[in-house]
Amino acid sequence: MARASNVKNRLNRGDGAWAYAFIAIALVVYALFTAYPVVSAFLVSFQEYRPLGSEYIGFDNYSGIFASELFWKAIMNTLVYTVLTVPVALIISFAVAIAIMPLKKWAQTTFKAIYYLPAVASGVALSVVWLWIYDPLPGGILNQLIGMLGIPSQNWLGASSTSMFSLVLMSWLSSHGTSIIIYVAALLGIDESYYEAAEIDGATFWQKMWHIVLPCLKPTTLFLLVTGVIGSFQVFQNAYLMTGGGPDHSTTMVGLLIFDTAFKYFEFGKAAAQSLVLAAIIGVIAFIQFKFLGKDVEY
Amino acid sequence: MALFNNHLGNRTAKYTRNTILVILLLLFAMATIFPIYFMIMSSFGDPVEAGAVSYSIWPSKFSLESYKFFFAFSEYSYRWILNSLVVATVVMVSNVVFATMAGYAFSKIQFRGRNVLFAILLAAMMIPYQVTQVPLYILIVNIFEIQNTYSALIMPTLVTVYNIFLAKQFMGTIPKEILESAKVEGCNQFQIFVKIIMPLSKTVMAVMAILTFMETWNTFFWPFLVTNTMDMQTIQVGLKNFRFANTTYFAPMMAGATISAVPMFILFFSLQRYFLEGVTVGAVKG
Amino acid sequence: MKSKTKIAASVLALTLSLGTLSACGSGNNNEPAQTAKPSNTANGGASEAKDTITALLPPVSPTYQENFKQMEADFNKLYPNLTLKIEPASWEDMTQKLDTQVNAGSPPDLAFIGSDGISKYAQMGMLLDIKDLVSADMIADYDEAALAYMKNGDGLYGLPAYMEVHSIGGNKQFLEEAGVDWKKVQQEGWTYDEFREAIKKGVVKEGDKTSRYGFVFATAGVASKDYLSILVKNAGMPSPFTKDLKYAYTSKNYLTVLNAVRELIDDGSMPKELSSVDAGKRWNMFLTGQTMITGKGLAVFENSANKNNAKIDAKDGSAVEGSIKVDYIALPLPSFAGQEPVSHAVVDGYVAFRGKKDPTDEHKANIAKAAYFLSSGQVAATTNNDLFAAHITKSAREAAASMESNRNPDNIAAVDKMLEHAAPARPDIPVELGSKAIKLENEVVIPKLQALLAGEITPQEMYDAVKKGAIEAFGADGVVQD
Repeated sequence: MARASNVKNRLNRGDGAWAYAFIAIALVVYALFTAYPVVSAFLVSFQEYRPLGSEYIGFDNYSGIFASELFWKAIMNTLVYTVLTVPVALIISFAVAIAIMPLKKWAQTTFKAIYYLPAVASGVALSVVWLWIYDPLPGGILNQLIGMLGIPSQNWLGASSTSMFSLVLMSWLSSHGTSIIIYVAALLGIDESYYEAAEIDGATFWQKMWHIVLPCLKPTTLFLLVTGVIGSFQVFQNAYLMTGGGPDHSTTMVGLLIFDTAFKYFEFGKAAAQSLVLAAIIGVIAFIQFKFLGKDVEY
Repeated sequence: MALFNNHLGNRTAKYTRNTILVILLLLFAMATIFPIYFMIMSSFGDPVEAGAVSYSIWPSKFSLESYKFFFAFSEYSYRWILNSLVVATVVMVSNVVFATMAGYAFSKIQFRGRNVLFAILLAAMMIPYQVTQVPLYILIVNIFEIQNTYSALIMPTLVTVYNIFLAKQFMGTIPKEILESAKVEGCNQFQIFVKIIMPLSKTVMAVMAILTFMETWNTFFWPFLVTNTMDMQTIQVGLKNFRFANTTYFAPMMAGATISAVPMFILFFSLQRYFLEGVTVGAVKG
Repeated sequence: MKSKTKIAASVLALTLSLGTLSACGSGNNNEPAQTAKPSNTANGGASEAKDTITALLPPVSPTYQENFKQMEADFNKLYPNLTLKIEPASWEDMTQKLDTQVNAGSPPDLAFIGSDGISKYAQMGMLLDIKDLVSADMIADYDEAALAYMKNGDGLYGLPAYMEVHSIGGNKQFLEEAGVDWKKVQQEGWTYDEFREAIKKGVVKEGDKTSRYGFVFATAGVASKDYLSILVKNAGMPSPFTKDLKYAYTSKNYLTVLNAVRELIDDGSMPKELSSVDAGKRWNMFLTGQTMITGKGLAVFENSANKNNAKIDAKDGSAVEGSIKVDYIALPLPSFAGQEPVSHAVVDGYVAFRGKKDPTDEHKANIAKAAYFLSSGQVAATTNNDLFAAHITKSAREAAASMESNRNPDNIAAVDKMLEHAAPARPDIPVELGSKAIKLENEVVIPKLQALLAGEITPQEMYDAVKKGAIEAFGADGVVQD
């Protein structure tokens, strides 16, 4: 034991310097363009922000947030949205990635390209199309579709009962491209010899799935889950472009609320405080995910 | 692919399985692709005002007028595409290089402060960008005074935490033994990185390249903020200029969106190779 | 004090020269200005330092942004030492960009915004008071009513480009079929009951499907706040605040309007999906004959309708698909509860900003020059003609005299009539009250209106919610209780 670690120490000598060299540029970029703005936002969160001389007001911004009904409603909406979208998107992406694997190369490529398409096209342009899909008049695309099934036409984005679902459906059908690609790449990265060994033992497809694929994809899943949840908590564009948070705040997510606080009401200090509270919430959730899923994943 | 049993012996069973898979994939693909299909189809419509959109699934006509209309809208339309290309390419290359390096360091090298530094990096992902926007703007415009330049468009995203995280997660699957044996053979970390890590990470680098390029290409808000003149705008900003308060030139907008998507397709298909190469390279050598 | 008068004098002198130059410029294709250029540059450099004025401008009219180059060149001809640098932005993105720049303490010198935005920026102390920078001559060029919208408290923060009324627009043929005497309505207005009956008659059904609605108003997206704010003006609430600065939307009349909003949908005169009809959609419905009256209406829509009519005549397939020829008739909003009709006036213009660093007096004067250049004379004439908007400066009227217009004279008369009833500007409303009202509108009024339109809450519930929010914001004494 001691001898092994001695050998290691000798081999690893100088690694630290290399490591710092490797991360140097990343750190500089990070410090300038991420850390500095975050620290500055942190300071602003204790101020009543004015471009010409802000005023420190202690914890007023924070206490204002916790007293605000709208903030909690936005948190609830965000949670609902996240729970409905992220796990489903992961399962869909995983299933698609697995289903693609046995196909011929050209077919794989075609499918990957198709699924990736929504990510390629600009979100702004696509949201225009989606607005037309959700046209509330009986002639709208989705209304025609459900009309064939005998369901009366819906006021998709215009009614509180369907607005959230409409955003979720949009997410299911358009935000899996990246995860599919990452999953496929990860599947291709699994060492062939594992399967070979399993086949010698006569393992079935499901056994291989359970004992090889799932453990090997754990870091990838964790990555997608964490980034997916973070992304979902910050989701802003679709609600902004499609519903503006309405009707009656039924789709007001925290990301949108922060945006409104900052850019509609100019309460920049409050917006900074809101986003730090949000960051704390995301942090806790990410921590839990790491704890439960990341136990045997090496970082 | 050896996850599936290719030597079941029964060709019909295999054939049936693949057919079912393809049908399911096709159905899902149709639902996915519909908005894009609609976008491309509409782009061949006439450049007409006032949201005249038909709900027919099939194109009623084929005309390139909307494309002409889009390019005629501004003398800078080609320049927008060029700007986007320059910015997205630089950001892509720098991310692939620096994020891979940092990802490797965080994943495979033991050094003092590794976990703390990585946690700090990760924490930044959790801050919504709306709030860093104004301080960042102040930094670029008021402190560095580089608004309306390529530097302003590029610098803030030279390396993103997302990419470092992605690289690190992927490299987690590279067996330690390979690196240790290289060390025993006397390679230093840089040699290991170039000779072993980079070839083994082609897949993740390609993924990173595509994602970063796409992200940068589609970014709207930041370029919009830091550019003041038409000739420095990117395609996304130009695309938005297209929209008017009460009337939307729907077909030309879709034409613009289609044009803006084309470079992405080219990139995607040209990097396909590396995804597939990943299969053979992924094996442990010696 | 001394330096101030000196500046005032030089500004005055400049204004005079500006007046003569622009008068020549508009009449003679700018040739005099061109010939004047060499002499100006010869000695101009010594007396006046070079300066650049930045302006953030949206596509005010369909051809507005195409004219930027020309505008910059013309301005430079007028003031050889000055450069006007125009940043274009779309309407939607304009506010975000401006807000970020303002928050960062480095806004453009001029931005084209609505006068309702003034209180927001004034509260932050980021606006430049140009009251003492513009000459009496410049001020005299503007119509008083429009200029007043650019004021807040004592300050004058910009110069207006146009004053428009938000009205509604009818399809002449359909109105006549429904027995509406539109000429009389244009001149005398109508009550809510008359209006309600009229749009009921405008509905056409095929089986149980409505193929034409009586009235469609855009209430989704950026248009969400227009509907209610236009209606309540005609219910004795010309402004969110009464003359003694009490919040007005807690009055009984507000509830009357909310009931009306629901009734029109329940009558079947308006689509039940109204809450997700946006501006593009309702205009499409108007051009394709799916509605008799559309809202909101602006004078420029007559232009759009005419253009589409011409395309239908040309039969080259460039007209809006499925559209029919439409004669656009500008109509006033109905009045509620026996109140005077008051038009919702919109005044947009060139608002002057200041950055973190206080600009030099010379730069301030140059900003005023640029604002005047953009909002009067040739530039304003071209833009407002394009918009079918009334001219609000004498110089623009002169410049526009020779320009052709194919506007329907009845509509011009109707719009003039509505402008007479335009809600007066309220520079007396303190900025804190104004911004509280805007916040209440965004956080309570609009969300609840969406729910009301979707049939999820009753008018009474919405009224109660607004009242509750208002009392929280302004106190029980700060709101109207009747």
